[in-house]
Amino acid sequence: MMESLFYLASFIALVATVLALSRANATHALIYLIVSLLAVAVIFFLLGAPFAAALEVLIYAGAIMVLFIFVIMMLNLGDSGVAKERQWLSPRYWIVPGLLAAILFGEMLVALQHHSAALSGKMISPKAVALELFGPYVLAVEIASMLLLAGLVGAYHLGRRFLARTEMEEELQEELKEQEQQRAQP
Amino acid sequence: MSDLNTIIFGLVLIGGAVGGAAVLTWFERRLLGIWQDRLGPNRLGPFGILQVLADMLKLLSKDDWVPPFADKVVFVFAPTAIVVAMLLGFAVVPFSPDLMIIDINIGLLFFLGMTSLAVYSVLLGGLASNNKYALLGGLRSAAQMVSYEVFMGLSLMGVVMLSGSFSLRDIVEAQSDMWFFIPQFLGLYVFLIAGIAESHRLPFDLPEAEHELTAGFHTEYGGMKFAMFMLGEYLGLMLISCMIVTLFFGGWLGPWLPPVVWFFLKVFIVICFFILLRCAIPRPRYDQLMSLGWKYMLPLALLNLLVTGAIALSMEG
Amino acid sequence: MLNAEVLNNNDTVGELYARFGASSFAVQACPDNTPTLWVERSQLIAVLQHLKNQFPMLLDLFGVDERLREHKPASAKDYTVVYHLMRFKPVAEIRIKASVCADDISLPSACGIWPNANWYEREAWDMYGIEFSGHPNLRRILLPPTWQGHALRKDHPARATEMAPFSLDDEKQQQEQEALLFKPEDWGMQRATDDTEFMFLNLGPNHPSVHGVFRIALQLDGEVVVDSVPDIGYHHRGAEKMAERQTWHSFIPYTDRIDYLGGVMNNLAYVMSVEQLAGITVPDRAKVIRIMMAELFRISSHLVFYGTFAQDVGQMSPVFYMFADRERLLGIVEAVTGGRMHPAWFRIGGVAQDLPKGWDKMVREFIDAMPARLDHYQKMAMDNSILKQRTVGVGAYNSQEAMDWGITGPSLRATGFDFDLRRDRPYGGYDQFDFEVPTAHNGDCYDRAVVRIEEIRQSLHIIRQCLDNMPAGPYKSEHKLTTPPPKERTLQDIETLIHHFLNVSWGPVMPAGEASFPIEATKGINNYHIISDGGTQSYRTRIRTPSFPALQQIPLISNGLMIADLIAIIASIDFVMADVDR
Repeated sequence: MMESLFYLASFIALVATVLALSRANATHALIYLIVSLLAVAVIFFLLGAPFAAALEVLIYAGAIMVLFIFVIMMLNLGDSGVAKERQWLSPRYWIVPGLLAAILFGEMLVALQHHSAALSGKMISPKAVALELFGPYVLAVEIASMLLLAGLVGAYHLGRRFLARTEMEEELQEELKEQEQQRAQP
Repeated sequence: MSDLNTIIFGLVLIGGAVGGAAVLTWFERRLLGIWQDRLGPNRLGPFGILQVLADMLKLLSKDDWVPPFADKVVFVFAPTAIVVAMLLGFAVVPFSPDLMIIDINIGLLFFLGMTSLAVYSVLLGGLASNNKYALLGGLRSAAQMVSYEVFMGLSLMGVVMLSGSFSLRDIVEAQSDMWFFIPQFLGLYVFLIAGIAESHRLPFDLPEAEHELTAGFHTEYGGMKFAMFMLGEYLGLMLISCMIVTLFFGGWLGPWLPPVVWFFLKVFIVICFFILLRCAIPRPRYDQLMSLGWKYMLPLALLNLLVTGAIALSMEG
Repeated sequence: MLNAEVLNNNDTVGELYARFGASSFAVQACPDNTPTLWVERSQLIAVLQHLKNQFPMLLDLFGVDERLREHKPASAKDYTVVYHLMRFKPVAEIRIKASVCADDISLPSACGIWPNANWYEREAWDMYGIEFSGHPNLRRILLPPTWQGHALRKDHPARATEMAPFSLDDEKQQQEQEALLFKPEDWGMQRATDDTEFMFLNLGPNHPSVHGVFRIALQLDGEVVVDSVPDIGYHHRGAEKMAERQTWHSFIPYTDRIDYLGGVMNNLAYVMSVEQLAGITVPDRAKVIRIMMAELFRISSHLVFYGTFAQDVGQMSPVFYMFADRERLLGIVEAVTGGRMHPAWFRIGGVAQDLPKGWDKMVREFIDAMPARLDHYQKMAMDNSILKQRTVGVGAYNSQEAMDWGITGPSLRATGFDFDLRRDRPYGGYDQFDFEVPTAHNGDCYDRAVVRIEEIRQSLHIIRQCLDNMPAGPYKSEHKLTTPPPKERTLQDIETLIHHFLNVSWGPVMPAGEASFPIEATKGINNYHIISDGGTQSYRTRIRTPSFPALQQIPLISNGLMIADLIAIIASIDFVMADVDR
């Protein structure tokens, strides 16, 4: 039962990923990517890592992909975007990376034959994850959080520059308006 | 519960939730009517309850229209996402000690995951409509819901600390001495506001904001597809109310009455509170909502986390 | 005539004479004693520029087709443009007229002097084909861009029966649709800058918060309004053209529909002008009844404003309370007049009937209950912090800007400018009443609401005085032009019988002349400029409404804000599209 569910989820993940790659419409591609991520979450769950599964849904599917769609909405791609994407899908763009990926896939299959414990079935509770993170890996967690903080400060800095620029633009517009008014008055 | 019982209960729950959402539309209109010095739907059946049926018939018989300029597949898919995600969210709600579909050790995270997936409905609906009002609504919803998800998750971490588990059953049982709304009042406050923002109801209904964006993300929707959005919204309201009761007001706990009755009684009161909010408060501006989130909700949630953590540690030590 | 004397004693006119020479002006005597001067086209701008220092507001600007006018003033050529200027402290008005021939139909534009001349000149061009050289954007404003001819010219048909039957073939449909196509360049908007592509949003004509059929094209950068261009005319019904086809009496119901929230307030502006023209004085009882009804409608209009204002910033409930109050109020109106929104109840020379029995009880109940309810609404809506966040500091303008753009009424008082025609130049008996003129300071959305709410209280105060001091006596004037004339004596006196018969069948014949009478209507100054050519119909009726200039000003106060702010601004302006488009 568990095993068949696992293979079903894997199959969905693979198909969805391929579809995500081959869609010309960016929105459709993203929806397939979300499906793929959800399938991966199911795989995590079946492998006994419910916490990782939940985070996969929450963070990847629930937040990061939302931002992707957000950006697409802002870009206003329309039909020209689809046409461009379609052009990129011609074989001469994907044949070489595809071959390289196929070689890697083959290597992985060979490597996997030596380790045959795909479904261990051992549950890892959130608590266990937390103990690991704040036990042996505490330094990594701290470094990662510092990195995120740096990212936050960077984002704030960029945002501030943008704000300052709009202020400058406003000033410029006001000046232009004044000039116009002066011109209008004889 | 056995597998068969679980399946039957699941079906009953789906029927109950959908039916409950339908009745909730009528109940909300009646209650708003009372508060607004008017009657509300009162013509069909006793107290106008058959209005629900009439509305359903009307929506079912509407032309199933897809605008020619829309992205057809996504346009049809979008409204189903919210209903599916919200119904899945009900799977982890503990109605009583043994009345729940599944008790997983990440129950709370599962709920958060489902609400975060519900964003897609609004987002894709807005994008696929190919309408400028819908697009603006979609943009607003993306920013609003992604931000408020953060505070929603953070506000619940205090509860998790106190109970030591993500399992909703454990959380309820941990409240047998004291309901969490007392030690976690900050958490409750943040969660309440984030909950309204997530279910995008007035005062935080900016994605649809009738007076600004006509109908926001569902401007182009009609008939059953529109009904799905409404259903999703009311399911979301019910789910958030269930979660508030479970996490802060002791779930099924309470003297004399059977646990299920307690649970539904509390949920009913929370729902009435949400309707009262809708009735009383104006809508802030989009940037005001965002700054409320990042400038007040986030520090509050973090403060709550810090204080709760410190107290939990000192109690242990 | 009295008029010449008034003119000679007038400082402004004296100054003008001193500056430009008395020979530059031709004086026209008007029954309303407003100095009316004709100037030559060449001197028009210089005169207007000179007058701007004393008359900060261009109250109105409109055209007149003089070609068929029998009692034409000596200086009138084919088309005349009238510039109606106003000063506030002390109140004074002046009319400047410039006339042009049909074969050289051009005048210099006054946009450089008063910015609000823009739309008025567009309207004059739309209606009469008068060109204004130097106008930045002389396009049709009220009529659709595909309209043929200029509608208020005397040779333009007034009714569908005077034209060929309407048909819409494919070619014409194509043309109409092309005219509707939105091209940002036509509206003076850029499609993109170097790093931003703008989005254009067509807000209206059908949108929940534009209060009717008002369209505003927005150039958006995200949700920020970069530029906005209001587009009006979707509610144009040709009230001014209709006035030329109706008798003096039968036009009264049309006035109701101008500001449809103001009810009898429109009747008041119209009948005051006509009475001025005919020299009718109204008996005291009629005056007080008129004031009471007008103030009731002021409350009604402000209640609708209050409710929709709260609703447009997203508060759901208040509007229901205010409409319930308005319902009670309209109950009183119905008991008194028989109508509700459009009573058409004022008559030339008085009102239609005497007050019914028991009116005082109804009115007293209403005004006793209202103050407590207003306190309740204050707590519910105006004290709400979110509502304050949405409206305080949003859409602000100062008194000077308000004057430049022709903003009057509560929207002007919200800037701190203490002016109310009812107090500063009392008309129709307002001098007998005691009331305050509420003002605010910042001129933002919140203040515009605050002033209106305080006006509701003041109106209640005025109504209480009407109630306590209602004089006895006739409700109609004895004057022979009173329409319909009092019927009591008709069966005993052949003279009055003849008058009654003629006035009812043909309508009264008003003496030739021009008169206007600005009144403080619910939304600002409402003014009917009436030209009689000595007939049973008006030769020209010009309706100056307060909403028209308010919409013109929207871009000034909303550019750079967000869409939600724009909605708050629109809500706070308190306009009615019928009052804009007429």
